[in-house]
Amino acid sequence: MKAEQLGYTNVKVYHEGMPAWSKRNYSVLSPKFLQEAFIKKDIPHVLLDVRPAKKAKKGFIKGAVTLPAGKVKSALKNFPPPKKKAPIIVYDAKGGKKAVKAAKTLVKAGHKKVRLLTGGVKAWEKGKYPLEKGTLATEIVYVPKPRPGEMSMDAFMEIADKTPSNILILDVRNRDEANAGVIKGAMLVPDEEILDRMSEIPKNKMIVCHCATGVRAEMAYHKLKGKGYNVKFLNANIFIEKDGSYEIEK
Amino acid sequence: MLLRKILTGTLVLFTALGIVTVMPANKAEAKKKPTISKMCLNCHKPAPGSLRGKFDSVAFKSRSIQLKINKSTEIVKFNPETIQVVVAGKTEKAEALRKLKKGKEIRVEYSKKGGVKTASLVSVKPKIKVAAEKLLTTAEIEKLVAKGPKKGKYLLVDARPGPRFKEGALPTAINIPYPAFDKKKGMLPKDKSALIIYYCGGVT
Repeated sequence: MKAEQLGYTNVKVYHEGMPAWSKRNYSVLSPKFLQEAFIKKDIPHVLLDVRPAKKAKKGFIKGAVTLPAGKVKSALKNFPPPKKKAPIIVYDAKGGKKAVKAAKTLVKAGHKKVRLLTGGVKAWEKGKYPLEKGTLATEIVYVPKPRPGEMSMDAFMEIADKTPSNILILDVRNRDEANAGVIKGAMLVPDEEILDRMSEIPKNKMIVCHCATGVRAEMAYHKLKGKGYNVKFLNANIFIEKDGSYEIEK
Repeated sequence: MLLRKILTGTLVLFTALGIVTVMPANKAEAKKKPTISKMCLNCHKPAPGSLRGKFDSVAFKSRSIQLKINKSTEIVKFNPETIQVVVAGKTEKAEALRKLKKGKEIRVEYSKKGGVKTASLVSVKPKIKVAAEKLLTTAEIEKLVAKGPKKGKYLLVDARPGPRFKEGALPTAINIPYPAFDKKKGMLPKDKSALIIYYCGGVT
């Protein structure tokens, strides 16, 4: 403990730290940090304006959803499920009772990334950050950032259905798994064999890797990308039937 | 259902709109890949045959471990029969890899053959031991935070990196990232007997 070396005699440690705190409490961020850590970086989050809707209309933070504090409880089902770990940032006029109430309701519902904007809209304005006027969104939308190289399920399905000639689907599962069924037009190279069989994988096509869950597909993606391939991967569970038909789920 | 089982221990992210553009990798960049994460450099140095970074995922079907070192990704092979997995000072079998959480700090000892790294050992960062009388519980912190630093007579210090602190921190906390301690020690109170409470991103 560096502080003790400096002569401090009453140094304690909250060992469980942030994860334990977030299970039972909301945390806080300043307007500057909301701007820098989320809005400017385009990090997906849910921003809630819990003031009365009429008040919110007169000036709100860009991207905010209007949901008056008293209605949060009844709207819990409209939030992304807690397992998605969406950062939810709540603000009111001054970082007061309304925001606290809404934040506590969300923590109680199992959300572990609930934040309260310190000082609310007042502090936001004081920091000279812009406010928007007009109609606020009412629907809570949260789309997590894809992992590098990840392809959306829709894009994958389109490729699997149309099998364009400039794209190759690479099945990186093991042979015993592939025996149960392979997507039409896909090439089977188990993830383990990729480095040895690289020469069989065409360089002039875009490669789309899939496995059964996305784990090995991502590893294959990194191997191929490292060799200069134009490659993407499916990060989802996929079940393939004998006839090549398939189902994807997240 | 078999497929579901493979999922154990991996975090599945959810797809977003559209397609991500992928830049063709440049070879020089691949050569310069780091072998040790920045965060590990506080206490450790790079060593040949060893990688230090964050655990990402494990695939038993292709006998591979994926780890993240800063922004780059490393994939190492392993033999489930022979690999040693050290958790909390105990050497365990490969199965212990399934229980590892994404983001856990690990050290991988490997040998290289024909451009393929094979891990012989994965060591999970042990918890730092702190004397019991110096530990505070969540309930105790909650009470202090409710009082505020003045009434509660405390200084709450978040030792995590700046970007983590910005994303959300305990109310009333200040941020002194561990590597920046010497630079920022001026933020500590003058009174050496003042209560200072440290926390970070969990038991590390």
